[in-house]
Amino acid sequence: MPWDVIFFYTIAAICLFTGLLVVVSESPVHSAIFLVLCFVNVAGIFVMQGAEFLAVLQIIVYSGAVLVLLLFVLMLIDPDKLPSFYTARPLQRYVSLLIGLVLLLEVGAAIITRPAIEAIGPDTPEAIAAVGGNVQAIGRIIFTDYALALEMTSLVLTVGVVGAVVLGLPERLGEKARESRSTISLGHPRGSSDILGPGPRFETPIDVPAGRTTAPQGPRKVVMAKSPDDYTRAGEISR
Amino acid sequence: MDQPIWITFLVTFLILNVLLIGMAYVTWFERKVLARFQDRLGPTRTGPFGLLQPIADAVKLLGKEDLVPAAADRWVFLFAPVVTFMTALIAAAVIPFGDTVSIFGQNVDLFAADLNVAALFVLAVGGVGIYGIILGGWASANRFSLLGALRSAAQVVSYELILGFSLVGIFIMTGTLSLREIMLQQYETLSIGPFEISNWFILSQPLAFVLFMIAAVAETNRAPFDLPEAESELVAGFHTEYSSFRFSLYFLGEYISMMVISLFASTLFLGGTSGPGVEKYWGLGILWLVLKVVAFLFFYVWLRATLPRFRFDQLMGLAWKVLLPLALLNILLTAFFRLLANGQVF
Repeated sequence: MPWDVIFFYTIAAICLFTGLLVVVSESPVHSAIFLVLCFVNVAGIFVMQGAEFLAVLQIIVYSGAVLVLLLFVLMLIDPDKLPSFYTARPLQRYVSLLIGLVLLLEVGAAIITRPAIEAIGPDTPEAIAAVGGNVQAIGRIIFTDYALALEMTSLVLTVGVVGAVVLGLPERLGEKARESRSTISLGHPRGSSDILGPGPRFETPIDVPAGRTTAPQGPRKVVMAKSPDDYTRAGEISR
Repeated sequence: MDQPIWITFLVTFLILNVLLIGMAYVTWFERKVLARFQDRLGPTRTGPFGLLQPIADAVKLLGKEDLVPAAADRWVFLFAPVVTFMTALIAAAVIPFGDTVSIFGQNVDLFAADLNVAALFVLAVGGVGIYGIILGGWASANRFSLLGALRSAAQVVSYELILGFSLVGIFIMTGTLSLREIMLQQYETLSIGPFEISNWFILSQPLAFVLFMIAAVAETNRAPFDLPEAESELVAGFHTEYSSFRFSLYFLGEYISMMVISLFASTLFLGGTSGPGVEKYWGLGILWLVLKVVAFLFFYVWLRATLPRFRFDQLMGLAWKVLLPLALLNILLTAFFRLLANGQVF
């Protein structure tokens, strides 16, 4: 058994297994970790096909940037509030399983019955070596045949960035901040309710209204801070 | 790639061991140099000149109690430092310690692998290394660790961009991404007036060098960019809950990535193994490379000893508002001069 066959089956098996675990994991952060592993193995498959530039790009862009930012978001979300497969109603679960199975069978059928199953495209290793390598070949195509697609993609990404900045602009809290009895906090992996339960003391003594010595009972409201200004309320002296 | 596989394994084994021993003694080097900057002596009692201090540290760290917080996500907590350590080591696989030489009649490659996308491989592996930090901070079930981890991740992602951009100038000039090719192109001599010096890219890409060094210091979470893990900030940042061996994995992973980035910078900008006498004796090349790496490590420790820490918003502002435009300017200028030299502009 030649080595590359062994490598291919190992990498493909890990890909499929981690891909399955992405869907099956209970915690979204675990899903993201398994997705990272899956993408790194996909990069391994690219390397086996001689597309090493694509492989490092896959790791740099997908695993190293996109999934990191996705992990940021997932870490700050309370996992109890996300929809979960395991706590959905039985009808929803069975229907989703069925639809997933149907899609899988469709994809399988499409792969098996496609007409060009043994055809070789224009980018053979000899053609690529003639141009000078993978980097040069991809560079040529991107800036000539697919130049429009490249520019449109960069436009879409720019729109995304501008939108994110606009959505993230700090609002003025003003009056609302001074009167809220809430704790400003970032998320916690287990969710906030069991950490920030009703406590016996106020966060800052300056807020104690006359006649009260204990905090109001019930879960504390958690305010997600958007800017450094949220940490000090208007009129408060920081200690 | 015509050498038998046992030679590749032997070379890789040697590189790995030298890196691991070097990592231990980089800690000694840092403590001694930092001490001298601060007008004191550093370790002197454990062995002559304190040379056995890393061993004493290792014994102490291994002997500490290994705590895993009860609310922590156990598997991710255990797995995270390993990721940092492993990826830091993997990046050294593509650093060339010389060209192919002939030892006792057998052709030996003085590097573990010669990828034709080697420079991007180092960046890719560095990018995967930040998962060790993020997952370690998250899995600690400690909001300060999480904050430190997220800050560190944001910092690394931003400075990784600048690291990549500062290298594009070199790629334009050399036309290749392979580190061995880039190193070999720096063996050529430039004649500037009456002088003949080697074509080190620090001379033709000074702005890229400065940007690369700044980004390298930020990538490895070293001072003055060490806000995510500084002792006086956020308790200790993402490695607050880690003790004994796991903490040492993070700590040593950081030193290894310092060494690997120094090796990377020496190969890209200072010619790697190039220096007087290399054509005849390849051993001298390794000596020159080691000297350049020591110079970079000294620079790292010097920064730590002298500069105050950046605040996080200053750090991010520096990356996105100052360094990124400068990197793009560098690419523009390099491309312009390359086209000018090729006669394709006027």
